[in-house]
Amino acid sequence: MDFSRQKRKLQFWTDKIGNILLRLSWHLVHAVIYLCYFTMGMVHALESHLISRGLLRKYKSLYISKINYLAIVIESEDACRTSNVIQLLQWVVALGINHICLYDNEGILKKSKDLILDKFDGVILFQDTQEDNMLLDQPCMTLEFVSYSDGKEAVARAANVLLKEYIKSGATGSNQGEQIFSESQMSEALKTVGSGGPEPDLILIYGPARCHLGFPAWRMRYTEIQHMGPLKSMKYGSLIKAIYRFTTVQQNYGK
Amino acid sequence: MLSLRFAVPTANTLIPTKTKPKSGLVVQTGWKQTGLSSSPPKRYDYKLQAATTDITDGRASVEDKEVELPAGLSRELMPKHVAVIMDGNGRWARQRELPTSAGHEAGVKSLREMVELCGQWGIQVLTVFAFSSENWIRPKVEVNFLLSLFERALKSEMESFGRSGIRISVIGDSSKLPASLLSLINEVEETTKNNTRLQLIVAVSYSGKYDVIQACRSIAERVKDGQIQLEDIDEGLIEQELETNCTEYPYPDLLIRTSGELRVSNFLLWQLAYTELFFTQELWPDFGKEDFVEALSSYQQRQRRYGGRHS
Repeated sequence: MDFSRQKRKLQFWTDKIGNILLRLSWHLVHAVIYLCYFTMGMVHALESHLISRGLLRKYKSLYISKINYLAIVIESEDACRTSNVIQLLQWVVALGINHICLYDNEGILKKSKDLILDKFDGVILFQDTQEDNMLLDQPCMTLEFVSYSDGKEAVARAANVLLKEYIKSGATGSNQGEQIFSESQMSEALKTVGSGGPEPDLILIYGPARCHLGFPAWRMRYTEIQHMGPLKSMKYGSLIKAIYRFTTVQQNYGK
Repeated sequence: MLSLRFAVPTANTLIPTKTKPKSGLVVQTGWKQTGLSSSPPKRYDYKLQAATTDITDGRASVEDKEVELPAGLSRELMPKHVAVIMDGNGRWARQRELPTSAGHEAGVKSLREMVELCGQWGIQVLTVFAFSSENWIRPKVEVNFLLSLFERALKSEMESFGRSGIRISVIGDSSKLPASLLSLINEVEETTKNNTRLQLIVAVSYSGKYDVIQACRSIAERVKDGQIQLEDIDEGLIEQELETNCTEYPYPDLLIRTSGELRVSNFLLWQLAYTELFFTQELWPDFGKEDFVEALSSYQQRQRRYGGRHS
């Protein structure tokens, strides 16, 4: 009887110690992983700080002229942070990039358009009637505001334009169909419906998810896409690093 | 089972490669299917059981037993549709001082592994960018090699597609493809159309812009035939006419691009609006199970709102 009681007691304490050890291991693993990510975060923050101060030689001179047109995609919840958006634009302009497209899915930036434009002297609101090359030759800053309606919905409207032309031409053969429905005709039709901006060289995405949230698909065939994290965590150093990374890229365009 | 959740750092847009380029070479010409059962690497604690295939009345059905996922992955959060831009075959070959063809053949081996994994882990659709419309400007020798490699792979794998329950669909501008390849594609698509385990969509001579244009052209024909009215044309109608209408899940949940490039290069432009983009430095022939698990983990940890807001 005593023996079985002793045995039960031993079993009890063994289980208890085992549980404690398991819990400790669990917390230890969590702590280690947390430390790793904390360290990575610190390293990123330090690197960003050093870049912003110009202490890292690699990032001192940027080949900015490689960016003719920059697009910034902002997640709609972040788009309400107008002060952050303005700060970001000021950084971009300070780097020498003057032609910028701002996109958010719900069109919140379009509603804040006047507030944003007020903060920049001599800025021109992008006019679709301009030719792309004329736009990019403008020495002053241009800003374009784009939302989801300028993407898929615009392509549908442009398709309607082409279709009306197709019907008007009394087209019967497939050749005429191919002439009217072509990539260049679609680009022209998009300009006609007011959604024909140039293809950006680089898109910076500010948001929690690494996706472009419906940015006009027709305009991003060869566009470089970089995810920057949430807008509230934006850093000047990270911006420079992203732009530097783009300027080192070489595109083969299929070759 | 440990279940860890932590903030994923997003300062870097590229996932740095953890391994050096592999020295030495294992090249398999052709695509040999040795059956679904294979010994799993010891680092993964999962049990792989062979799928058995019954062919009844011309339909292949696969009875799957439960396959345990690698640690950290959840079956409920698995993407339904994964798209891959298989970039880096040429660079992989150049690093090893091999001809480009060797890189493409090694790429086929990677694709085979990925198809197997997708089938085992419950991914419904895998779309791969095999050949872009812009690739036609490559040297003729390379283009001919790529098309013949594709033809050989289709021929050799036709039977195993049936056994594995894989449905094959090919999208892209078929007008430039050789007649023999076209007829083989039709045969494979017809033979595998009833398979349900995994749909493998191969984009050959594909362009995202071309996809939109051909959808508009199809709509025009339907208007001309009186099937639809001009006022009916909206983005939904265009989506119905895109080449990805061959699948129940036309929009990829996750796009993986290898070799370090951060762009989509005219692939599935319309369909990628809310797709999680995963860019990795690994070259495609080096992209293996570990890298795929990393991509899937990254996808499963993201907070995706699809344009909406948190309530």
